[in-house]
Amino acid sequence: MNAVEIRGLVKKYADFEAVSGLTFDVREGEIFALVGPNGVGKSTTLKTIATILSPSSGSVAVFGLDTAREAHGVREIISYLPEEAGAYKNLTGREYLDFMALVFLRDKQKAAAAVAFGSELSGLKDRLEDKVKTYSKGMTRKLLLARAVMVKPKLAILDEPTSGLDIVNGYEIRKTIKQLAAGGMTFLISSHNMSEIEFLSGRIGVINKGKLLACDTPAALKTRFTTDDLEEVFIKLTQ
Amino acid sequence: MNIFFVLVKKEIKELLTLQVILSIAAMLLIFQVIGKSVGSQNKSTAAHNGVVTLDLDRSAVSRRLAAALAEAGYEIRPSRAANIEAAMASPEHAAENSFILIPEGLERTINSGKKSRVEFYSRFKKNASGLGPVLAASRTRKAAAVVSGELSYYVLERRVPGVAPAFLRNPAPALEFAVVDGHAEEVPLAQVLAFIQSQTYFFPVAVFFIVILSAQMIMTSVAGEKENKTLETLLSSPIDRRLLVMSKLAASAVIAAALSAAYMLGMRSFMSGITAETTLGAAAGVSAAGPALAKLGLLISPQGYFLVGLSVLFCILCALSIAFILGVLSEDLKSIQAMMTPLMMALMLSYLLPIFIDLSSANLGIKFLLYAIPFTHAFMAPQNMMMGNTAQVLWGIAYQAAVFTVCVVYAARLFSGEALLTMRLKFGRKR
Repeated sequence: MNAVEIRGLVKKYADFEAVSGLTFDVREGEIFALVGPNGVGKSTTLKTIATILSPSSGSVAVFGLDTAREAHGVREIISYLPEEAGAYKNLTGREYLDFMALVFLRDKQKAAAAVAFGSELSGLKDRLEDKVKTYSKGMTRKLLLARAVMVKPKLAILDEPTSGLDIVNGYEIRKTIKQLAAGGMTFLISSHNMSEIEFLSGRIGVINKGKLLACDTPAALKTRFTTDDLEEVFIKLTQ
Repeated sequence: MNIFFVLVKKEIKELLTLQVILSIAAMLLIFQVIGKSVGSQNKSTAAHNGVVTLDLDRSAVSRRLAAALAEAGYEIRPSRAANIEAAMASPEHAAENSFILIPEGLERTINSGKKSRVEFYSRFKKNASGLGPVLAASRTRKAAAVVSGELSYYVLERRVPGVAPAFLRNPAPALEFAVVDGHAEEVPLAQVLAFIQSQTYFFPVAVFFIVILSAQMIMTSVAGEKENKTLETLLSSPIDRRLLVMSKLAASAVIAAALSAAYMLGMRSFMSGITAETTLGAAAGVSAAGPALAKLGLLISPQGYFLVGLSVLFCILCALSIAFILGVLSEDLKSIQAMMTPLMMALMLSYLLPIFIDLSSANLGIKFLLYAIPFTHAFMAPQNMMMGNTAQVLWGIAYQAAVFTVCVVYAARLFSGEALLTMRLKFGRKR
């Protein structure tokens, strides 16, 4: 079964069409990257898969569950990390993880186990006892990523997971994603960082103006465009 | 484990920051300090009951007037100046503000059956502020009444011997009756007014602040979550979205109630410091009139207070649910103030208009407008209970409950849909 199946997805806002008939699949256990220039519908697509937005037409299914008709079921098996998301500033890092674990799992024991896993993943150690408002951007992002994956969702949707992070923090996050994917978790990520995409993803979907331009492995795309540089593939596709 | 309480706890932690707690503590302290210092200053001003008398007559009548003033509680400060200007200019009386001039020949003129005059001066110093000059002027006016009364007694004793002067001055003292719903009861009207004011003064102010505070809280909470994108995370969670709405409403109501209690505590301490004597006097009067007020049915029963409380509760809930919707429509934290305007306008209308307009005789348009605002019913609940309009209070509560239900359902629908995000997307760049 595919983790995500998108068929003819259209999303309109008043007089603007953000996504225009998008169709692609994400296979179970893979890291799938959605790439494209700014404002071409990547975040809209991710939000629709995360059940926050509903399709204007077409369909989105997550592990066979329709995101519009079976939204609650979808929410039970996904975790979504929005781009530039924040955490509750007046909670400590640990309180934030505790709260989110209870919200997602609604079971004290399961939540405690998830928090233990999330605390480890975050690498924040003693700083978890400090309020989130004292965290740097990198620390907050690590906390948020830990939050997104600690509940061990079947599908993790990460919008620009390493956006704005320094080299070390970005590397740590990528490594964590790779390890979790090896453990069977499916990832759908969006990023502008081509080396990150190449390092992480099994397959890439390139979109522009709400339409899918190409969908394949990095190697296949590079062969198709006779280049060793994935950025060149991106430029050739989107210009 | 109850997820609702987990959500409420998180909301309270987010809203009740150290800054909020410190600002409330500072407010309480400031109220306390100002109230006490102003109170002690006014007390000392009130305790100062000196009157400078310039007695140019030096007669039995002028001595009798001084004795009457002393008996009335005034401290007589005799002046030996030649005229009133010199008396007021005297360094000895530099701190005094009340002066009485008893003219030469007062006794002789009165005894001859002619009119004389006693002059009363109240000094308003240019650099004086606060209640001091007002109290001094009031003291002078009361001294004038004492002097006038004593002179009347003197004349009556001389002219109508054998008849009590008190009888001659007021042979038929007025008896005041208050009539409520056809039932008349003898009670000083001033005491009825004092009672009604005591019941309706603090109450609307408290409700007003609770509503404003809670509305701001919930709008900040919702707009803050939108701005920080924490909302998107919550919306992608398996939590029932109605629970998210209700937890925000509950947390804001709890904090607003606590803050308002603190505010009213501070305000009460401030006001009691300023008006200690007046308040005590009024309270004593109201207490004395208690049985008459009870017979008139003006005293609110415990059940009546329960209904008033219920009306206030629904007023807060209505404000919270409306503010929630406005918070959803707010683009970010900066736009909260602008979004608060319609709520503030409705509150001001429902708070101020019933003070100046008698709703029972107001035109239909104004009545409709005011009763359509759910807050009006809470502001008017104590007065309605006092006047026995229980049905009106009950209808008000039912209306408020209906408005609350509609608003919560609408808020939950907004939360369940994508309106709160698409509005942001509409104005944002990224899609």
